Amino acid sequence: MAPIVRIENVVKEYPLGNLVVRALQGVDLSIDRGEFTTIAGPSGSGKTTLLNLIGCVDVPTSGVVEIDGDSTSKLHDKELTRLRLHKIGFIFQSFNLVSVLDLFQNVEFPLLLQGGLTKKERELRVRDMVDKVGLTPQLRQRPNELSGGQRQRVAIARALVTKPKLVLADEPTANLDSVTGLAIIELMREMNAKESTTFIFSTHDPKVMEHASRIVHIVDGRIHSDERTDFLSSPLAETGGRAEAQAAP
Amino acid sequence: MNTVYFEIAARNLLQSKRRTFLLGLALALVTMLLVMLLALSQGLTETMIRSATTLSAGHINVAGFYKANANDAAPMVTNVDAIRKIVEENTPGLDYVVDRHRGWARVVSESSSTQAGLTGIDIRSEPRFGQTIQLALESDYKEGGRAEVVGRLEDLEQPDSVLIFAAQAKRLEVGVGDALTVIIETLNGARNTTDVTVVAVAKDLGMMSNWSMFLPKQTILDMYRLKSDTTGAVMVYLKDIEESEKVMGTLREVFVDRGYVLMDHDPQPFWMKFERVSGEDWLGQKLDLTIWRDEVSFLEFVFTAVNTVSFFLLGILLVIIVVGIMNSMYMSVRERTREVGTIRAIGMPKYGVLGMFMLEAVVLGIVATTVGGLMGAAFSAAIDAWAPPVPVEAVQAILMSDRLHLAVRPGQIITAIVAFSLVTMLASLWPALKAAKMQPVDAIHSAG
Repeated sequence: MAPIVRIENVVKEYPLGNLVVRALQGVDLSIDRGEFTTIAGPSGSGKTTLLNLIGCVDVPTSGVVEIDGDSTSKLHDKELTRLRLHKIGFIFQSFNLVSVLDLFQNVEFPLLLQGGLTKKERELRVRDMVDKVGLTPQLRQRPNELSGGQRQRVAIARALVTKPKLVLADEPTANLDSVTGLAIIELMREMNAKESTTFIFSTHDPKVMEHASRIVHIVDGRIHSDERTDFLSSPLAETGGRAEAQAAP
Repeated sequence: MNTVYFEIAARNLLQSKRRTFLLGLALALVTMLLVMLLALSQGLTETMIRSATTLSAGHINVAGFYKANANDAAPMVTNVDAIRKIVEENTPGLDYVVDRHRGWARVVSESSSTQAGLTGIDIRSEPRFGQTIQLALESDYKEGGRAEVVGRLEDLEQPDSVLIFAAQAKRLEVGVGDALTVIIETLNGARNTTDVTVVAVAKDLGMMSNWSMFLPKQTILDMYRLKSDTTGAVMVYLKDIEESEKVMGTLREVFVDRGYVLMDHDPQPFWMKFERVSGEDWLGQKLDLTIWRDEVSFLEFVFTAVNTVSFFLLGILLVIIVVGIMNSMYMSVRERTREVGTIRAIGMPKYGVLGMFMLEAVVLGIVATTVGGLMGAAFSAAIDAWAPPVPVEAVQAILMSDRLHLAVRPGQIITAIVAFSLVTMLASLWPALKAAKMQPVDAIHSAG
């Protein structure tokens, strides 16, 4: 089966005053469906740029980015928007929930954008997803009434509610304490296993990255290493991470 | 989907309470002002219609000129009974028909004189005239006069009587029972003088009552030495004044069918046509059909003046409002840049972002303008009920009344609400476009 993400010799340059900054310098990467991959590297290494390109919110200066067989350079804004809506879910470092909508409405929002479901079908889908992330009691609370961990779980629910093929998370644990952060990673891992959704997340935290099944190290805009790990031997898996994730704030 | 867009808009407005309140208040006040100005304009229109249709015109007028020789023209129609019959049989939506004689005179009192348009009226056949004309208190026109009405409208049946208006009574320094000398020029150029007695003094009916006087028909006929089958104009009153123009068209066709010669429609009062008709090369009778608006077209400058001032004022306020809305929307877009980036990343199209921000402005616009519109209507109705006196005579002349009259119509409120809601929406277009055009990648990572 063709990979969900195929990146070939991608270069991304940004103008910075009179200078041109090369954020990515000839990156090649292929990610298969169902993988749980982390893009690891220090700040400024190009992790976020790479995720932006995979997430179709940006296009490469040169090279090819293919998402589920579609080359993003060849798509117009409208088509990129449709691709994001139907195939990609996003989880942000700062949660990025719509502050004036409650938990239910935030999760429902992408479904409304997609259209095609009745109100009842949407409600069932949202309630099911909110239940999976353990936030049913907070269904009608606004983001400012939730803890950081809870907000990130809402973001996970929002990213998954449309059943996307690919979920991208840019430093999803960076604004959380270590226990909550690990619980969020475990929740993502659980969703990856249950829904067979491909997850790609960036981090520079070694404790977080060790829970990925694949770690792509990026340094100075180039892939430095690409290694497969055995998640089942990780401490989180041994201690029953799911229970911990649901107990976390 | 619309519900969520609406909810986002409403909640964002509530979140920025102070900004929303100030902007909403400004919008409401401007809408209120517009409704009140429209009510004033409508009040003026109604006053003008009332003045015109009481003093000088029917809803439709079948008048005309009779030329006995090439260089002259008399504003009259002959064989009035036949014309009335045609009108009564062929006017759709007819209420009633009257006919009045017309003349022009110099009117002299013991201490002063004035020019006046004379109208010969049969007071018994015009009950509406009595309902519209209100007699003035003697103290309104006479120094040291009694605070009571003196004289009776019914006395206008008496030969050689006259009804004048308060402003004329002041100018001529006369009251009920006093004599006036009326000097006219007959159709063959002779001067004729008649003494008449003031039997009633009416409250002024705007600018037009400055030069209108009413006498019995027979007095006018006698003064001008006319036959009894002549008149100045057959005045047709309809159940719906709005139908005037259409019905005039119908009557024109009927008169042409019956062999009458008609003048081309000229939307001016009869006295402005004298010079032209006098110079025309024809003899005999030609009918001239007009509607009430034509007979008071010379007063249109009042509307032009009021509307110009109103729209200038509103224009300035509109600019302020537009700048306020744009500024407020820019702030809102800047504050919510990251939210825009997020929803664009999730999959909202550009036009969705555009609609979201514009809906916010539209919600504010509709709520604020509705409140403002209703406030304007309430204030206008209250002022109209109070009918405050207008102290300055020049302003009275412009307003065509000695009291302020505002008339509110549902159409005006709807017009004001729709107009300002549209302005609000258009003012928000530019900031909303700016939000829609944001690159998701830049917006997500903004510090906002």
